[in-house]
Amino acid sequence: MNQATPSKEEETISQLKARFPDAIMVAKVDRPHRVTIHFEKNHLLEIAKFMHDELGFDHVKGVAGIDHPTHRKIEVLYFAGSYSKPEIQDLIVILKAELPREDATIASAVSVWPSSHFHERETFEMFGVKFEGHPDLRKLLTLDNWEGPPPMLKDIKFPEMGQR
Amino acid sequence: MTTETTQMKPPAPPITITKTQEPSTLDVSVGPQHPGSGHFRMLIRVDGDYIVSVDPDIGYVHRGCEKIAEYRNYVSNIPHLERPCIIDAIHLNWAYVLPVEELQGVVVPPRGQYISTIAAEMNRIMSHLYWLAINAGVFSGHTTIFMWAFGDRDLFIELAEMLTGARLTYSFLPPGGPRRDLPFGFEDKLSKLLDYFENRLVEYDHIFFSNPLVVSRAKGIGVLTREEAMELGVAGPVLRGSGVKYDVRKVEPYGAYGDVDFEIPTFEEGDSYARFLVRFEEMKQSVKILRQCLQKIPKGPIARKAPLVAPEGEAAGRVESSRGEYTVMVMGDNSDKPYRVKIMNGSFRNLAALPFLIRNVHVADMPIIYGSLDYWPVEADR
Repeated sequence: MNQATPSKEEETISQLKARFPDAIMVAKVDRPHRVTIHFEKNHLLEIAKFMHDELGFDHVKGVAGIDHPTHRKIEVLYFAGSYSKPEIQDLIVILKAELPREDATIASAVSVWPSSHFHERETFEMFGVKFEGHPDLRKLLTLDNWEGPPPMLKDIKFPEMGQR
Repeated sequence: MTTETTQMKPPAPPITITKTQEPSTLDVSVGPQHPGSGHFRMLIRVDGDYIVSVDPDIGYVHRGCEKIAEYRNYVSNIPHLERPCIIDAIHLNWAYVLPVEELQGVVVPPRGQYISTIAAEMNRIMSHLYWLAINAGVFSGHTTIFMWAFGDRDLFIELAEMLTGARLTYSFLPPGGPRRDLPFGFEDKLSKLLDYFENRLVEYDHIFFSNPLVVSRAKGIGVLTREEAMELGVAGPVLRGSGVKYDVRKVEPYGAYGDVDFEIPTFEEGDSYARFLVRFEEMKQSVKILRQCLQKIPKGPIARKAPLVAPEGEAAGRVESSRGEYTVMVMGDNSDKPYRVKIMNGSFRNLAALPFLIRNVHVADMPIIYGSLDYWPVEADR
């Protein structure tokens, strides 16, 4: 019975896989309502545009960075969701790209998802990820006189706060 | 003596206002003051009495919650992860605990779910009353509602203290379920308070929400259309004030919300007054949810033991906090500390709407629009 009616999660994955057979490396349903998609970083804008225009994922809930110093990589996660289509409102699609730690650069999704504006600024500041094409890539949360490397990287520690 | 001084004083020069032809704008830094909810600065460009554009400058209360969370164990993280919005502490706590429980594979027993729901809905009423007192009442110069709402909020705070042991920062929900069962006599006290509060809501309506002074100041001010709201990805009452029917309690029910009957109030207008009314109607729905929870609460254990470590993996949990969808992603690495905690909250997402709304409006309308967003700088800065 399950095969006759694929779930919303599986349907989203199959639509994305059919459209981007090369760009999507891994796509899996984590649990009901959650889908994780690993994609090749150069295809962010195309995937975002397809998801926005045709699948109805009209906003991002957040953009996260995860630092993996041992693997020399930084992961960037986009949490996409939908307000306009009631049947997929409960889904969160997590788009995940791996960037090299030395040159963490990815295209900005602001032109497709304006909601990612502040989130990308925050990830730029905290992880040093450069979002190419972002209209206003400035520091956001740290003070103006903060000098130093991006504070959320794993090898940056604040001993005065007990971080060793 | 008097004649001498009066003779010596020259007459005051006449005041003349001249307006230059070319760039007539002026950049003003508003803040970083504490406008009732946390330190926050706006750079506004004014042309006479009109605001041309605004650039929000946040981060004055940034304390690196996500970084600190990587150096504390899962339980020690709870007190400081609920600090960003202490008037909404249960929701912040719950949003963090949901993904941790998912990673650990712990299921909270039904009675625990109901107690969490009761605490969360009481917290929603308290948070909305704070908003009504400060962000709606004081910002629109209405001091009566400030006194009334703050007074009534304290009655809920006293009950929260009875349930959890603390007035504001409860740390009530560790992984596995709530810390305490409902104390003796709590149900009676809560249902009596709800009876009282329902009558008060009628009075709030008379003195504030139907008050022509409030209506004329808030209606038609700061309009966010349905399409703009969806594109900007705003959350919570701001989204529902623009006519989008979206509430995490309905789309992905957690706690006891799957068992209770309630509605999602939405308004089509998208102006500040619509956002006022969404929160007012939400308080009524919270009363409805609380009454049903008291009726339906099952007997049994309230919590299960949860391990201190979480296995490798990522999980994202979300709740509907008073300021909108609150999503937390937790990444475990087989240790007792999370590898990464990412918080995505309603205030930070509603910030996108601020430069959009405070534009081509009078300077005097700015506090009303800011208040209608219920923006909480500390929550946004984390």
